[in-house]
Amino acid sequence: MENRFMRNRRWKAGLLFLAGVAGLFASPTQSAAQGGDTITIGVVLPISGREGKPGQYQKEGVELAIKQINDKGGLTIKGKKYHLKEAFYDDGSDSAKSASLAERVMSTDNATAVIGGYSTALGEAESVMPDRYKTPWLTPGAAATSIFSHGYQYVFGTLSPVLLLGSTTAEFLGYLVDQGKLKKGLKIAMAVENTDHGIDYVNGVQDWISKHPGYFTVVFNEKFELGGTDFSGLLQKVKAARADIFLSDAHLQDYITMQRQYLQSGMHHQVISYGARGPEEAARKALGDGINYIFAGIWWSDKLPYPQAQKFINDYKQFTGRAPDSWYAATAYDSMRILAQAIQQAGSTDKTKIRDALRKAELKDSILPGTVLKYGPNGQAGYPFVIVQNQPGGKVEIVYPKNAATGAPIAPTP
Amino acid sequence: MTAARLGKLAVPFVILLLLLLFPATGPSSDLVKILFTTFVWIITSIAWNIVGGFTGQVSFGFAVFYGLGAYAAALLINSGRSPYFAFLGAAGVAVLASFLVGLPTFRLRGPYFAIATIGVTEAVRVVMSNVPFTGGASGYRITEYGPFRQLEHYYQALVAVALAVAISAWISGSRFGLALRAIKQDQDAAAQLGVNPYTFKLWAHAIAAALTGVAGALHARYNIYIDPTGGAGGVFAFTTGISILLMPVIGGIGTVWGPVLGGAVFGIVEEEIVVKFPQIHLLLYGALLILIVLLEPDGLVGLFHRIVRLFRRRRDDSGGPRADKVLWGRSRLEGREL
Amino acid sequence: MSLIDYLDPLVAAVLLAGIYAAMSIGMTVIYGVMKIVNLAHAGFMMMGAYFAFELFERFHVHPVIGALLALPTFFLFGMAVYWLLVRWLPRSDQPTLSSLLLMFGFWLVLQNVALLIWGNEDQSILTPMTFSVIRFGPVSIATVRLVVFVLAVVSVVVLQIVLRRSWFGRAVRALIQNPYAAQITGVDDRRTAMLSFGVGIAFAGFAGSLLAMLYSFSPDFGRQFLLRSFVIIVLGGLESFSGVAIGALILALVETFSILFVQASYQPAISYGLLVVVLLVLPKGVAGLLEKKWRVA
Repeated sequence: MENRFMRNRRWKAGLLFLAGVAGLFASPTQSAAQGGDTITIGVVLPISGREGKPGQYQKEGVELAIKQINDKGGLTIKGKKYHLKEAFYDDGSDSAKSASLAERVMSTDNATAVIGGYSTALGEAESVMPDRYKTPWLTPGAAATSIFSHGYQYVFGTLSPVLLLGSTTAEFLGYLVDQGKLKKGLKIAMAVENTDHGIDYVNGVQDWISKHPGYFTVVFNEKFELGGTDFSGLLQKVKAARADIFLSDAHLQDYITMQRQYLQSGMHHQVISYGARGPEEAARKALGDGINYIFAGIWWSDKLPYPQAQKFINDYKQFTGRAPDSWYAATAYDSMRILAQAIQQAGSTDKTKIRDALRKAELKDSILPGTVLKYGPNGQAGYPFVIVQNQPGGKVEIVYPKNAATGAPIAPTP
Repeated sequence: MTAARLGKLAVPFVILLLLLLFPATGPSSDLVKILFTTFVWIITSIAWNIVGGFTGQVSFGFAVFYGLGAYAAALLINSGRSPYFAFLGAAGVAVLASFLVGLPTFRLRGPYFAIATIGVTEAVRVVMSNVPFTGGASGYRITEYGPFRQLEHYYQALVAVALAVAISAWISGSRFGLALRAIKQDQDAAAQLGVNPYTFKLWAHAIAAALTGVAGALHARYNIYIDPTGGAGGVFAFTTGISILLMPVIGGIGTVWGPVLGGAVFGIVEEEIVVKFPQIHLLLYGALLILIVLLEPDGLVGLFHRIVRLFRRRRDDSGGPRADKVLWGRSRLEGREL
Repeated sequence: MSLIDYLDPLVAAVLLAGIYAAMSIGMTVIYGVMKIVNLAHAGFMMMGAYFAFELFERFHVHPVIGALLALPTFFLFGMAVYWLLVRWLPRSDQPTLSSLLLMFGFWLVLQNVALLIWGNEDQSILTPMTFSVIRFGPVSIATVRLVVFVLAVVSVVVLQIVLRRSWFGRAVRALIQNPYAAQITGVDDRRTAMLSFGVGIAFAGFAGSLLAMLYSFSPDFGRQFLLRSFVIIVLGGLESFSGVAIGALILALVETFSILFVQASYQPAISYGLLVVVLLVLPKGVAGLLEKKWRVA
């Protein structure tokens, strides 16, 4: 349809265009200089998207630790001082991006180690990369045991398994019965998120129940889709189950949405819990007194009596201008600290040696419950949970285990 | 065979040669990853264009084939099959799905069809999020033993994308392609002239689905972990389907090289700019779409032609390009009904 | 579950149908007059939610007032968008790909603007009304849901009256029935289009503000509602207004009751499945069915 002249031009121009595009590809991408005296720590967390808030807190936890280490002069390896440098990427709560960015930080940025993966889905996606690039990867935000059951050699999880969260919650409920606050034989309704996190939680609870017959029965157990706007149908079913206790396992946004609709449905249960969510600032802001009496099983609380925990709280306040919100920053903080300790102990920037050191590492002044952070053989840490309760007046008290308690649990809900 | 014709044919082969030899220059693994991802996107872009560009049936639901291809390949690899078998399996599953989707929905016209495809994709996504066999919302993981050979993935994707371009070019020049364009122009008139729109749409859909399924398989094998929703990046996610649609539109809907260009641009933008400026990438796509629709509906290819025509006009004012317009009516995008 | 247990979901479904209708009617107007499938509808609803939010946070305006204020504000906003972008679209009496893509692009822009201004976290509006519950015997209704329902129904009824009585309404219905004949009889299609677009967007913003009272919202808010609107207007018949009400009721009932029989996480699949089934079986929607019995505008 066009003549020969135009065709020539067109293809020449096309070639030029594509050459330009290729040129874009060929231009060297800046990679962080490794060696010299910096060690690059990759950080891949969501600071936008559904998980933006917790991701932000975890980022701050890591950065606080890095700052403190650098302020002390950095790490000393074979007599040389090394500065820690953070290479941060926001994965926007998108699992495909999360994996892609983890890969990028391990390859282009040549990170010595990577901390990342807030929330199970993002963690699962990222967990594929560490073994591929033989780079140690620590997750302060993904607790589903499935990540650690594939035989990966370079993954470490700073969160205690959700299975333990479930059984601790049930154990706490049993404790309430023993204390006479609840009757025996109560019925439990469970509505959990449709993820490994939710499934692990249910298993943990049911595990404990089957080992302690007579205490509780689960009369309702269903999974809901993450990120829903309307849980009223699900809550109708919960209402119809006529249970005494309502246990849910959800992420922050769903927790807020569901609790709001729970209150609007006029329901009442003797005990309510949303798994690992409860005292978050965002929930307080969105629901006000609506979050009172809710229990949460969390990986760290600012009420823990350890001096190192109090120091962390003060340092964090200075660093960010606000107090730590729930447990998020704490696990990230200690992940960085144990990583730094392992690098130091390995005496080398060799990633595999660091991985080996991580396997043996013990952070003895951990701010986490139990004060010792150590990774198990599958890479996942295990330390006790604390159960907290939102109490009237905006207070959050640790109510379990007894030896860490700062307040008495209020049950049943008035 | 004139010199110009030879030149026209040679350029794609030259590019192919360059890409084949490219790894010998020792590129960073990040660069190889970007190229790999771009190839995968280009395949989906070309595939969508066959149905949306050549045949004029706008589907928002190509993520279904991408996702099914990904899962099919993952399941096959995990049960011990070779990757090539897995790719074929992925294509097969996608083709099957394309019939399941197409048989009922191609009876619909225009916006009804588009809306139906959205419904189908979301329904499949929710079901896949719940089926325990494939892991439900927890996603599915491929266990492949052996070291990670990045270049293997690169070459597989390169071959696949070359194949896709070849298929697209063949369709464009063939009688099959002519029939598709006739359907796009005016379905009823085409039917009068002996083209059965329903069957042709189904076949175009099948080819497109096969290609998209392979793309999904490539993605799955590289990323190892796939999940349906992924917080926005899952293989069945709504945004995935939108991205697939965006590329040919940006590049030039209804052309052979448009989807390739669109896919390339999209790949670069996604990988590089999104990382550096994550805050505005929606704005970029949105503004780009608006500009394309209002100013240059033929996308980058159209822009390119315009520039060329600018040169042409200086030399002599012939009826070449205008004959083009007369043949196809107004530009490929505007005025053309859904 | 006893019979009483079904009462609660029934009431909930009806209340939900109200807001669904208000939310979808904007889309119907725009589609009917201009044959544009307004994908940006979700974006406008989202902006409506943030509009109410800002008024509440900064000026302590009660969200109900905020919602009412949204009507004129978004009406003007809609007309502005028409003037700047939509009127350049090629005219057609069939939906075009260009219109689809233009609105989709604009939706992306709206999302990003909201992102830049308010960030990505969920926001919500907390008023003393948020948790209050009214009990009618065995049924308990959240006060906000009732309020939203009343506002939604009133707005839809008012729109219906306007469409039947006013000059504008007649012009709109004429354009829907036959654009060419309408122009011949003197209807200024440009002006009517601009006004219709404004009305459609006004309702989107209004619905968004109402939804803000019920749910948390973020820049991505609206996508699920967009898809629901599709289901509703297809159910009701793409160009029918009373069809919207019926469609909204059907969807609300299906959504609410399907959860009772199926695991909650499967529920969206049922809604989408319904969409596809309706498209295949009743392409003209319920209104098409009714048209055979008596004429429906």
